[in-house]
Amino acid sequence: MTAQTNQSWAASRLPCLASLCACLNARTMAPGGSYFAAFPFLIAVLAAFLSLSGIVLAVFYNPWHAFASVQFINRDVNQGWLIRTYHATGTTLIFALAYLHLFRSILIRAYRAPAEFSWLMSVKLLLVLLLTGWLGFVLTGGAAGHLSLVNAANAALSLGGLPGAVGLWFLGGPAGQGTLARLEVFHALLGISLLLVVWAYFASRKAAAQVEPAKAVAFYPYYLAQYFAALAVLAFIFVLLGFYAPGVSGVAANHIPAGGLALPLGAGVPWYLAPAAGLLGVFPTAKLAVAAAIVAVVLLYALPWLDRSGPDGAKGKVYCFFTWVLALDVLGLGLAAAGVLPFSPVLAVLFTGWFFFHFLVLTPVVTAMEAK
Amino acid sequence: MRRVFALTAILTILGIANAHAEDTLSPLHFQSQGPLGTIDKAAAQRGYEVYKSVCAGCHSLGKVHYRDLEALGLTPAQAAGEALAAGGTLNSPIKGAAPLNMGGAIPPDLSSIAAQRPGGPNYIYNYLTGFGPAPAGVTLLPGHNYNAAFPGGQTAMPDVLHDGAVTYQDGVQPTKAQEAADVAEFLAWAADPNLDARHQIGFRAIIFFAFLTIIAVASKRKVWRTQA
Ligand code: HEC
Repeated sequence: MTAQTNQSWAASRLPCLASLCACLNARTMAPGGSYFAAFPFLIAVLAAFLSLSGIVLAVFYNPWHAFASVQFINRDVNQGWLIRTYHATGTTLIFALAYLHLFRSILIRAYRAPAEFSWLMSVKLLLVLLLTGWLGFVLTGGAAGHLSLVNAANAALSLGGLPGAVGLWFLGGPAGQGTLARLEVFHALLGISLLLVVWAYFASRKAAAQVEPAKAVAFYPYYLAQYFAALAVLAFIFVLLGFYAPGVSGVAANHIPAGGLALPLGAGVPWYLAPAAGLLGVFPTAKLAVAAAIVAVVLLYALPWLDRSGPDGAKGKVYCFFTWVLALDVLGLGLAAAGVLPFSPVLAVLFTGWFFFHFLVLTPVVTAMEAK
Repeated sequence: MRRVFALTAILTILGIANAHAEDTLSPLHFQSQGPLGTIDKAAAQRGYEVYKSVCAGCHSLGKVHYRDLEALGLTPAQAAGEALAAGGTLNSPIKGAAPLNMGGAIPPDLSSIAAQRPGGPNYIYNYLTGFGPAPAGVTLLPGHNYNAAFPGGQTAMPDVLHDGAVTYQDGVQPTKAQEAADVAEFLAWAADPNLDARHQIGFRAIIFFAFLTIIAVASKRKVWRTQA
């Protein structure tokens, strides 16, 4: 009773509160949604969590002595190691969820009209994550991150023209003194902007949802209960990884400070960057790699229009099969980039070729055939 | 009931981990390794003794402070005593060599060496016990020694450990292998000083979230049952 009165007291003074409650209680959501549909919600929670833990880390981080300050956080800041573990484990999980969410969206064709915009936001989410994750990897000041930064800066230098200028502006030239300070700013900005992307995703998904009013359910309490259960499972996996396998989100060579004379063998990148690194790595010059990256992004964005089955085309078995193959292909790209497969360089070329083939040829052809 | 169960589970697991604490050599193992590992404080204290009397002549340990030794079971007074003997305070880094250059090779800082080398303490043990006469056909560079564990087979570091290189206060025999194993456990701790805390917090958090998951799923099913 008192809660009721309180609500109206606050709601009458801040009307948007009332509309928020009304919208949570409105029966507009699909009945019996899958637990997998909670992925974007979990991604939003993790993005907020990473922003908070990131702010704490940023307070102690010193881009001019990056490696030493990370050591300082790990060893000397009270509970600093805990916050750093949170940030690293959160990174691994947000990437895992983003990859799974994209995969599921392709599998169930969640990108089709009128939900194109939520697909575009899902792809953007992955792109922003990749950039943010790479910057975070570089910010550690470890040997592996430094090597990756030097490679990127050299590639930007070699580009020339507008892309080269943009690359140089972003990276601040060949990995120099102030570079990490500038990258720290971009890392934080991009990381926090993830929240905006997720918000746009939710808004567009809501606008696209077609729910039969008679069957619809409300967010509160139904989906709240479901999301809470999903969150509990996520937290369980989080502590398992964070406390018992804290190395999953990094690479061993990053324990060595950057700038030593000896270049670490097989420095590599963290697992979540590996598929992208594998794809870019097969191109001999920076120009080609940038072009390939642009084509890959455009193809991903264009998926709703590459699917030729039309709005009510049947759900095809062959298309499902090839979506699973695509998942294996991306996995293979990551493994090839890590060099753990035999004939990795050859396989990376094959996997890269298949990636483009899947979107350029297989998707339109198979969907058109199955729609008939 | 559940609490009692959780407590017994913790005690059993810690008990298993502790059961081997005495003999770490046959077979060689490090209590700090493995998903439920904890630092073997007795071994690490002996390893600190080895570091102090042998390794500190050439290596530094710049990220570890005297105050940190309290985590190995030293009392604050003992840690302060160690600091005083080295001419520092609790907040000074543990004393080591100033940067050296031995014929082009630089003895690395050992603070994180166990994390920096694949294999961690196992590698350090193999390295410290891997010295020997060079096999036929191997020509050593000037100032280098043959070492089977070192990549490339020759290192500028001499074979520094031998039986009785230190005296242990806890009665353990200071054989060469024992010294190597102890200093390896000590360096494993130096590279990952939060290991014990991480595994302890993790264990409690896992139990908590396991129950939370069960409750959350049950309540979700209850809420959704009213919907039909
Ligand atoms: C006489 C000086 C000296 C002493 C004493 C010494 N070291 Fe070294 N150590 C070196 C040098 C020099 C290197 C570099 C070797 C190289 O790069 O060839 C080295 C390298 C190392 C390495 C790195 C090996 C690698 O894989 O790169 C470890 C680990 C190490 N020492 C541990 C120890 C430990 C533990 C002790 C004490 C038991 C110790 N050292 C005592 C001189 C010494």
